[in-house]
Amino acid sequence: MGGSGSRLSKELLAEYQDLTFLTKQEILLAHRRFCELLPQEQRSMEESLRAQVSFEQILSLPELKANPFKERICRVFSTAPTRDSLSFEDFLDLLSVFSDTATPDIKSHYAFRIFDFDDDGTLNREDLSRLVNCLTGEGEDTRLSAAEMKQLIDNVSVAGLGLAGPGSGREGWTCGLKPSHSQILEESDIDRDGTINLSEFQHVISRSPDFASSFKIVL
Amino acid sequence: MEKNATWESDAWGSSRGWLAPRGARGGGRSWEAQIRPTFRPGPSLSSVLNELPSAATLRYRGPGVLPWGTLVEEVEDGGRSSRAVTEATQKELQEPHPSRELPWPMQARRAHRESHARDQVAYGSGSRAAQWAVLLRRSKEKMRANLHALQPWAWTLKRIGGQFGAGTESYFSLLRFLLLLNALASVLNACMVLLPTWLEGAPPGPPDPDTSSPCGSYHPYSQGLVTFPAQLFYLLSGEGYLEWSPLFYGFYPPRPRLAVTYLCSAFAVGLICLLLILHRSVSGLKQTLLAESGALTSYSHRVFSAWDFGLRGDGHVRLRQRLILYELQVELEEAEVRRRAAVRTLGQQVRIWSVRLLLNLLVVALLGAAFYGVYWATGYTVELQETPVVQQTPLLQLGVNYLPSIFISGVNFVLPPIFKLIAPLEGYTRSRQIVFILLRTVFLRLSSLVVLLFSLWNQITCGGDSEAEDCKTCGYNYKELPCWETRLGQEMYKLLLFDLLTGLAVTLLIQFPRKLFCGLCPGALGRLAGTQEFQVPDEVLGLIYAQTVVWVGSFFCPLLPLLNTAKFLLLFFLKKFTLFSTCSPASRTFRASTANFFFPLVLLLGLAISAVPVLYSIFLIPPSKLCGPFRGQSSIWAQIPESISSLPQTAQNFLFFLGSQAFAVPLLLISSILMAYSVALANSYGCIISELKRQIETEVQNKVFLAQRAVALSSANGAL
Repeated sequence: MGGSGSRLSKELLAEYQDLTFLTKQEILLAHRRFCELLPQEQRSMEESLRAQVSFEQILSLPELKANPFKERICRVFSTAPTRDSLSFEDFLDLLSVFSDTATPDIKSHYAFRIFDFDDDGTLNREDLSRLVNCLTGEGEDTRLSAAEMKQLIDNVSVAGLGLAGPGSGREGWTCGLKPSHSQILEESDIDRDGTINLSEFQHVISRSPDFASSFKIVL
Repeated sequence: MEKNATWESDAWGSSRGWLAPRGARGGGRSWEAQIRPTFRPGPSLSSVLNELPSAATLRYRGPGVLPWGTLVEEVEDGGRSSRAVTEATQKELQEPHPSRELPWPMQARRAHRESHARDQVAYGSGSRAAQWAVLLRRSKEKMRANLHALQPWAWTLKRIGGQFGAGTESYFSLLRFLLLLNALASVLNACMVLLPTWLEGAPPGPPDPDTSSPCGSYHPYSQGLVTFPAQLFYLLSGEGYLEWSPLFYGFYPPRPRLAVTYLCSAFAVGLICLLLILHRSVSGLKQTLLAESGALTSYSHRVFSAWDFGLRGDGHVRLRQRLILYELQVELEEAEVRRRAAVRTLGQQVRIWSVRLLLNLLVVALLGAAFYGVYWATGYTVELQETPVVQQTPLLQLGVNYLPSIFISGVNFVLPPIFKLIAPLEGYTRSRQIVFILLRTVFLRLSSLVVLLFSLWNQITCGGDSEAEDCKTCGYNYKELPCWETRLGQEMYKLLLFDLLTGLAVTLLIQFPRKLFCGLCPGALGRLAGTQEFQVPDEVLGLIYAQTVVWVGSFFCPLLPLLNTAKFLLLFFLKKFTLFSTCSPASRTFRASTANFFFPLVLLLGLAISAVPVLYSIFLIPPSKLCGPFRGQSSIWAQIPESISSLPQTAQNFLFFLGSQAFAVPLLLISSILMAYSVALANSYGCIISELKRQIETEVQNKVFLAQRAVALSSANGAL
């Protein structure tokens, strides 16, 4: 584990245990993995608490490397003014939210933030189509076709404008109202404003019993 | 500006609302620039809506950090406004949340905790009740953490769940739970059966071969030298020296106190298993009931909880992405299918229903053939054992002994893949197909066991005919089965052993070679044949089947739970090793929630099925006259009323009252009333939920209207 300089003090451990959902073992393991990402001279305890790790280094962790949401995760948890690096406490925040014992409320809250690609506080159609593209893979042959995306997210157009995801930019302005069948917005958008806000998202997620077990990262 | 007003009124008119205005923020969307070329002065609709109390947690991100969702422009002109917003947010969230449940960065939570602590001190240690509540919560959490730490293999399970998904983890969690059940059962059996046996002096040896009684003679084995193959044979079939050992029922001496504890141990084990399984399934049930009807929210669930964040490795991730794409496409296709099905003509409907009928008949025919085969095999075993050829070659004898188990395993191997092939032809949606396949496989597994027991019952009671020639004198077929309980125990013992052997054989002879050889095969064929998945439903049903066998057999073979504990322990490590060395992550066709609800239910079904033969034997079949602790009684249960009559009078009266109708009928009535009340309550909650949803919609329309008015008014004021 290295010299005594890289171990966390008892008070700090107790404080982290109080403030996060992690156990002592998990916090120590997280600290060790975080220090491995730092250059040698920054590995002492005081330095490691203040150091900021760039996104490229965090994304080199095997737990995050292949995750299609990795950039969003890093952006959401970063508290640096330039939102491009993570400190140790941000890293602990990340692990705490993704841990076993975090409340479903917290998980759904952060899931909402991760899925909100344009950071505007709601999930609109573009967020949803980017989400689906992340899920199915970014390659040309792994996306849903434009028609399928439209059917999935929504089929109703607004006042003559055809609002569609990025893949169907070629379609341009399609007019006409078509009845929609059970799709994402139809199911989750309770107030019928065309976007999903935090409470609607949490309402949908609360009815999904698999969410808590799939929203987990274990070091 | 007019364009603004008309746009907003237009948007207000259509129910799809004000998407365009909301979207008008910084950020390159080309079509927006066409609609909104100028920057509006004054507060925009989005900034007004951002200040609503419901968006409080979204805004505050920590000291010194911009509130989430602020625009660049707003920052430029209102650094003060953002600070005011953060302070207001802090004041809003004054409820006593534990700090770590707040969705804020660490620094903010630390500040909140310190201010909370300071407030507590300032108020003079708050109220007594609040303090006690905090202490209670902390101690409950600590206790729960300690209990979690006590559970073995917690870390292994977490790792499995992280790498292979929640479905596989639920299998191993179920295996661990069954291990606990079996360990408890074996401890209970040891205390209530083994201990009393030796407490009153060593039990006697096997009866002399010379003694004879009206119910035939019983000589389990001949003393003397036994060859090694014969020893192995005895070990595998439970005969020979094992037959007169604590392993089987026949060994236990006819002492009255032992009889009572023997009987009570069976009931105690059953009761404890029932309680533990119910406790486990309640949490799964709660989750499933919470989810409203699946058809209503399938798309949202598929998209929002689709991604398993614990997956790692490029290959696994790509595999999962492909699966998700496939599932989404299938789901969309199914929606089309459903829409087309709704408009099906009469002719098409008739056709599809006749196809379904045919296929179901085929399934019933296959199942019937399988059951008849098992029934025939069990009967044929006894005949085969009489032929001289078989009696001379020990290997053949072993094979004949195991014929029922071989048949059952063969049927369980062959039929489920056929069900999987048949299901797509029925024209149901994929999720329904999976339910049908599961139901048929469960039915197959548990019924083959039932058929085996039925054929054994046929042998023991001469087909239920107590006046038949063989069964007249002693009430059971004493010529073929002088000690029928031991024979039943032996069959279950053989089933357990054979299950273990097939598991080992499949792992060593099929899975590992497949992984090795197909890893060397070139190209797509190698990859296709080499990627094995951990088939969660099949494995779980195998576990449940094995546990049902043990439950049936544990009355007639008291050490069976101990053997099963050892077997499950071996299975755990074997499966874990196989999983990590040969399998890739499983597809999502089996969700963790279904596993948590469906499998304990099937386990309960297995427990119910296993109770039937045991209770039947206890109450209705006369016990063997030559072996066991109940010899000489009219029925196994008869021991209990005799013991009760030796208790004091009040105890007797109380126990007899419990068994009378005066107790049972009111109990039934009260349970029915409670059930009706719960159903009514659940219905009313459903009504309240739909009512509240409608209210939310109305409120949002009010909110949007007011916000637009606010914007219009303030911009009108600004223009002045």
